[in-house]
Amino acid sequence: MEDDLPTEYDVIVVGTGMTESIVAAAASRIGKKVLHLDSNEYYGGLWATFNFDGLQKWMEDLKSAASENKDFKPDLQDGEQFLQASNQYSTIENIVEDWFISNDEDLPAVLAKNTQTESSEEPSGAEKVDDDKSDKKDTKHWSIDRIKKEYRRFNIDLAPKLLFARGELVELLISSNIARYAEFRAVSRVATCMNGKLTQVPCSRADVFANKTVSVIEKRMLMQLLTSCMDQGADSPEFDGYRDKPFVEYLNTKKLTPIVKHYVMQAIAMATDKTSCRDGVNNTKHFLNSLGRYGNTPFLWPMYGSGELPQCFCRLCAVFGGVYCLKRHLDGVVTSGDKCKAILSGKQRLTLEHLVVGQGHLPPEIVASTGENKISRGIFITDRSIMKGEKENLTLLYYPPEEAGQEAVTIIELGPLTNACPQGLFIVHMTCKRTKTAKEDLAYVVKKFLKAEKLEKNVSRTPTDSQTQTSIAGGESVSKDIESKNPDDENSNNTMPQVLWSLYLNLPASDIKLSESAPNNIHLCSGPDLNLDFDFAVNQAKEIFKSMYPDEDFLPRAPDPEEIILEGEEAPGPKFEGDNSNGENEKQDNEKAEKEE
Amino acid sequence: MEDYKFLFKVVLVGNAGVGKTCLVRRFTQGLFPPGQGATIGVDFMIKTVEVENEKIKLQIWDTAGQERFRSITQSYYRSAHALILVYDISSQPTFDCLPDWLREIEEYASNKVLRILVGNKIDREDREIPTHVGEDFAQRHGMYFLETSAKEAENVERLFMEIAAELMEQARCKELPRYEQNTTSINGKTTAIGDSNSCGCSRFT
Repeated sequence: MEDDLPTEYDVIVVGTGMTESIVAAAASRIGKKVLHLDSNEYYGGLWATFNFDGLQKWMEDLKSAASENKDFKPDLQDGEQFLQASNQYSTIENIVEDWFISNDEDLPAVLAKNTQTESSEEPSGAEKVDDDKSDKKDTKHWSIDRIKKEYRRFNIDLAPKLLFARGELVELLISSNIARYAEFRAVSRVATCMNGKLTQVPCSRADVFANKTVSVIEKRMLMQLLTSCMDQGADSPEFDGYRDKPFVEYLNTKKLTPIVKHYVMQAIAMATDKTSCRDGVNNTKHFLNSLGRYGNTPFLWPMYGSGELPQCFCRLCAVFGGVYCLKRHLDGVVTSGDKCKAILSGKQRLTLEHLVVGQGHLPPEIVASTGENKISRGIFITDRSIMKGEKENLTLLYYPPEEAGQEAVTIIELGPLTNACPQGLFIVHMTCKRTKTAKEDLAYVVKKFLKAEKLEKNVSRTPTDSQTQTSIAGGESVSKDIESKNPDDENSNNTMPQVLWSLYLNLPASDIKLSESAPNNIHLCSGPDLNLDFDFAVNQAKEIFKSMYPDEDFLPRAPDPEEIILEGEEAPGPKFEGDNSNGENEKQDNEKAEKEE
Repeated sequence: MEDYKFLFKVVLVGNAGVGKTCLVRRFTQGLFPPGQGATIGVDFMIKTVEVENEKIKLQIWDTAGQERFRSITQSYYRSAHALILVYDISSQPTFDCLPDWLREIEEYASNKVLRILVGNKIDREDREIPTHVGEDFAQRHGMYFLETSAKEAENVERLFMEIAAELMEQARCKELPRYEQNTTSINGKTTAIGDSNSCGCSRFT
């Protein structure tokens, strides 16, 4: 069904990344006629989440896409100019994919106790999606074939991001009522590396009090410091004279003990020695603000990956009449004077008032700078967590540079409960600012936490640690048995996570800028940025929307189905009741609740 | 608090114009809106039905028009308990597209999802797909099969009631696709939710 698209729009959005999708939803929500295109057959662009097969296809496409750039001679009217779109993929570099396991059947068996998996799985109420039978078979080792065969059970992010529980995106999801399209899982621990060992950062009040590594005096010190950050943020007189100096300089004046200083710097403020006091305090405030809302830590992770979130906004856009078309290229834009009049796509000329374009599609003529903050990414499939736990964890670890020339690395480790990977495996995401290639930039951290060497044949690994098995409730007693048999040595090479597969890649910078001469109704959306959360994209989307429709509401709350009163035949669309209804939250909760006997 | 025993998510797919929205509207509201275009502002519909004296809440999701250019978001398929694939018995092309839809379903939906093939518009005189052809297709792909008319309200009630009954039966036998229930649905309230490791039994009730 290759219908032609309707040809006139208020807003055309090209690319289905985060910012683009939010703008599309916001425009559609206030009744604008929106067309949303993406040249890919999937949503999300550089924000996408793929299953294992999808990721392989994506890499294949990168290779072939580099060469295809056809010349385009459109029909133009007087005074019009045509600017050809650029190749979205030309900015992804240094892809290195490696396998560390073989294809053979006689692989070293990881001595996991399958009996345990089986017995504990049955009585529990908790389950992951698609528990297919092969999972429970007697062979518990992973081969290349098996990972490829179970490709559907991976959800691998190009741009993994967390949500602060009181961050911009969570607030927007709630206020717009888009939250109902997504599910989340709380990050269960924030880790930090202290004296070469990983430890869990106490986040909740209970955690702080239970923590034995921090003395009472230190706790008091910590509370005092945190309170001053919370109250007025960086504007507090407390920070007079330090705001633009490094955060660490301010902390040094507080005579903190090394442990407290470490927690504040590396876990809460996620600061390096160069981070300004202003940023450090604001980061701290952000972290503390988000505590206690949804779980043990300030962070949420979207189930099925970050790539789900742009889709939630696309769904809302479509529900309010937005037209969606994937696999549709932007060939170029038609400008006249300082306005963009239309785009050309698949032989059609589509007219518009505003053009919202994702980075990577823009004609090179109107890009002023391709940005400084490029991104290095590493993705790893491993056989156990970087840090032992009694249960499956979702872990955030910020690792500051060890020496000059290195960049701080953000590590997110996901287990099967997030649907990132099948039972028995973990996905580790590393992200940092690019200086060389992704592989070089991340090497020092990979070496520190992962065993990225070919797995020798016929060498047995020590049992995978307990959390892989006991993520399913009920197996705790068994897991303790295992741990007692395990030499509790974090640094032992044999207990480090074995990498089964790794992928390195460099993503383009997000601080790309339009040139001064660009038509003023073209709005640029950045790709994924280096920050941990989505605030950058949300704020960018708000700015774009405001510049297009300064007097309109940004994503007012969409009605729940119960509030929609459908009218007779000739009603153009349903009407809904007023926008503010308290008690809605309870309703939503009920909908989510699936009751069983 | 509403009183129901199960909540099931049912999603519809199929080519544009086969009558997905009409089926939903007919069932949830008893309406048949002729000549209506894409459904603006309507997201999903809810109807509570009773099976064997148990209240079951069906949350029925429509495609929001994204099927028109084959651009349904993957997230649409997430967490679905039943999937209704609809074609128009008077339109061969809508039947010919079924394999494409199945591929998409394979890719994104749970492999345990209950699948129902529906041939809609049996009120039409100009039938192109004989019943047995639809039946064969359904059987080959392990799907339930039913022919309906949203316009004449034929088999529509039956379609959804049978889905509800089947899902309830599966839930009782624990064969339902189980979705991790210990996830957080975010809303304005401050909720202490279980983190990713408690037993998974806590619910937002």
